[in-house]
Amino acid sequence: MTFSIKEEYAGKHILLTGGTGFVGKVWLVMALSRMPDIGRIYVLMRGKGRSVADRWIKIVNENPAFRPLHERHGADLSKFIAERVEVIQGTLDSPQMSIEDSIADRLRENVDLIVNCAGLVDFNPDVRVAVSSNLDGSLHVADFAASCKKAAMIHVSTCYVAGTKDGFIPETIAETTPNGTPLDPEAEYIRLKEIIEETEAENESEETIKTLTEEVVARLEKRGYEPTEKRVSGTVGRLKSKRLREVMSQAGTDRAKELGWPNTYTYTKALAEMITKVRYPNLRHTVLRPAIVESSLEFPFPGWNEGFNTSGPLIYLSGTWLRHIPAKAGNPLDIIPVDLVVNGIFIAGAAVMRGEHAEVYQTGSSDRAFLPIDRLTELSALGHRQHLRKTGANRVEKLILSRWDAISSDPEHMLNVSNIREVVFQVTRYLRHGRPEKIPKEWKEEAEDMAKSGDKAQRKLRQIEEVLDLFMPFTYDHYMVFEARALDKHPIAEAEFRFNPEDIDWRKYWLECHMPGLRRWCFPSQYENKETETYTPEVPFVMLQAGTAEPLPAQEAR
Amino acid sequence: MSETNTAAFFRAEGTLISSGVLQAAAYMASQRAGMRERLLRFGQTALAAPIYGVLGQNDRTLGNRVAHLSYRDISEDRVAILAEEYVEDILKEKILDSGLELMKQAKKEGRRIVVISEGISEIMKGIEPHLRYVDDLVCNRLEYKDHKATGKLIDPIVGGYDGGTWLKDYARKHELDLERSVAYAGHGPDLLLLSAVGEPCAVNPDFTLRKAAKEADWPIMEYTA
Repeated sequence: MTFSIKEEYAGKHILLTGGTGFVGKVWLVMALSRMPDIGRIYVLMRGKGRSVADRWIKIVNENPAFRPLHERHGADLSKFIAERVEVIQGTLDSPQMSIEDSIADRLRENVDLIVNCAGLVDFNPDVRVAVSSNLDGSLHVADFAASCKKAAMIHVSTCYVAGTKDGFIPETIAETTPNGTPLDPEAEYIRLKEIIEETEAENESEETIKTLTEEVVARLEKRGYEPTEKRVSGTVGRLKSKRLREVMSQAGTDRAKELGWPNTYTYTKALAEMITKVRYPNLRHTVLRPAIVESSLEFPFPGWNEGFNTSGPLIYLSGTWLRHIPAKAGNPLDIIPVDLVVNGIFIAGAAVMRGEHAEVYQTGSSDRAFLPIDRLTELSALGHRQHLRKTGANRVEKLILSRWDAISSDPEHMLNVSNIREVVFQVTRYLRHGRPEKIPKEWKEEAEDMAKSGDKAQRKLRQIEEVLDLFMPFTYDHYMVFEARALDKHPIAEAEFRFNPEDIDWRKYWLECHMPGLRRWCFPSQYENKETETYTPEVPFVMLQAGTAEPLPAQEAR
Repeated sequence: MSETNTAAFFRAEGTLISSGVLQAAAYMASQRAGMRERLLRFGQTALAAPIYGVLGQNDRTLGNRVAHLSYRDISEDRVAILAEEYVEDILKEKILDSGLELMKQAKKEGRRIVVISEGISEIMKGIEPHLRYVDDLVCNRLEYKDHKATGKLIDPIVGGYDGGTWLKDYARKHELDLERSVAYAGHGPDLLLLSAVGEPCAVNPDFTLRKAAKEADWPIMEYTA
């Protein structure tokens, strides 16, 4: 039956977690822009070293995603938001999400829908952080939802919980690991906690401390320092902390790979889905799995993007002199614009509130608007061509680099990033240590400058190489098509909320939205050591006291 | 005087634009991804040039097929972007002002302006706004499979003797009086196109058309800009 998203959300109270992330912010701004009759939106936030009110004000006033709201409401925005949004301090890493008791009770009474967009998107983080954020955090949200009077829940996961599989991935929660072994998710959760404890114990073991101490002593002596007890113990302590993060990251990756997931991110996300399903059978909840979320098609404006993304490194690489992109021709890269994902969340959210929901909704493009990675590589090369022909810094960029087309190639290609980095390393080493002694001073200075540039290039290449390695399961190793049909079971009255990836004109999207968006919002901070552009509204947003037009004193908002 | 229900047919190459399909194919070949591909396709275009030249005096259907073979395996995306570049950087400068004047005059007379071109649609759609007065554009279309050009043109191919037959069908469909219509063209294969209208005109004609125009006592126009 066709339903209206605006009507379904009118007067409904929503608790949003992850509202400061890429998807969460677009959800929030779209809800406020397109559903003025929505009830209260409770945005759960951490202060991150400041009061949540200060952080919220900074986000609304500086983040470009809020531009449409500023432009539409101007000086009235503070009042408009005060009537609809309540910012709540809390974190997902503790039960009841660290929400103050009185507020939690009010939420339990009022909330109709919990939208959980929170999560850690880092692929191979310290497993403790991944568990806390993606697993414990999700379970805390589900636990809270189960304790509410009427709340339904939508949990935003990822299509890549499917793991290292090939073929068509259905919209269901699997009961096995990706490599086909039956999995008891609760038992696996316990096992994961044990792995963390074992890893911590191993890092504190006498053997580890002894090895680290020997290393430190040897290093100090080599550098001519006396290995005093104070000096040694301080350095060993720092090394131990660093080592713990590394072994924790490795422990998570190893366990994930053992079971068939490519990384800790997808493994912990998958476990969260499975455990929620078995632990809360009576909770009205659904899972929405986006594929690779990228720049917006239209909302908040074409090309909006921020933070870490998958296609960014590939696109950046295709605009450099490195032209061999490790990607298998014909494999899909399942890109989906963020505003379509948010439309999917609205539809699935309405369905779960109505009790007509599916178990899983996948929001990807590969099933309905297949985009092979070799086409994507060519589009990226053409996008750089257009850009460099107009704005290249010099004639070499305008005439040659613009035509230096990137192509999909085997990761083992002779001119891959790793080999090029090795060449740069060897040249840098020669410039620094292998050059003839008797050369003019100016030449030495020139060589030193070039060596410094070589260092920089190596760092950048290593960064790109690491990211490419992380994405290899999706760009080269596996051919995955994610079913994305469940949302079609809910016909929507408003065209602006439809999930319609088949209408994407990939060329237009790539060249006019996505690449310009990455250039403006992502590349400066990720690859160019520049500050990300912020937005400055004509009339700044302020938080108002309840029922008045008076700004909230900062101390009361804490 | 208003010439309703009449048309002015312009063969783009030689009449409105001083550049032909081989130049476009050479440009596309030289901008392929990778040096090997560029050399291969450019060589292919170079080989096609004499064949196109020889066949060009008569039916150009085969000539056009050969000239467009070098598009094989080029992606639809690349054709679209290169076509934009080609129009902006090269083709815009090749528009003949005298041809535009003829179009303007015909438009003023109330005629439907129909431009017929051997060029591919991606390029001709790009140049169309610069020709200002076009009501209808008829041109060749590349065949694509999985977003890659096959190197074939989709039938019917513009540029052959079929032009005359096509013109009659077109006139019937749009209820045009061909006896009162005009046509401007400059190549041998356009003979049937010109002879189908009441007021034909040979523009910068090649050897075959010049000879025929003189025999038929058609007006001949010469301009280079």
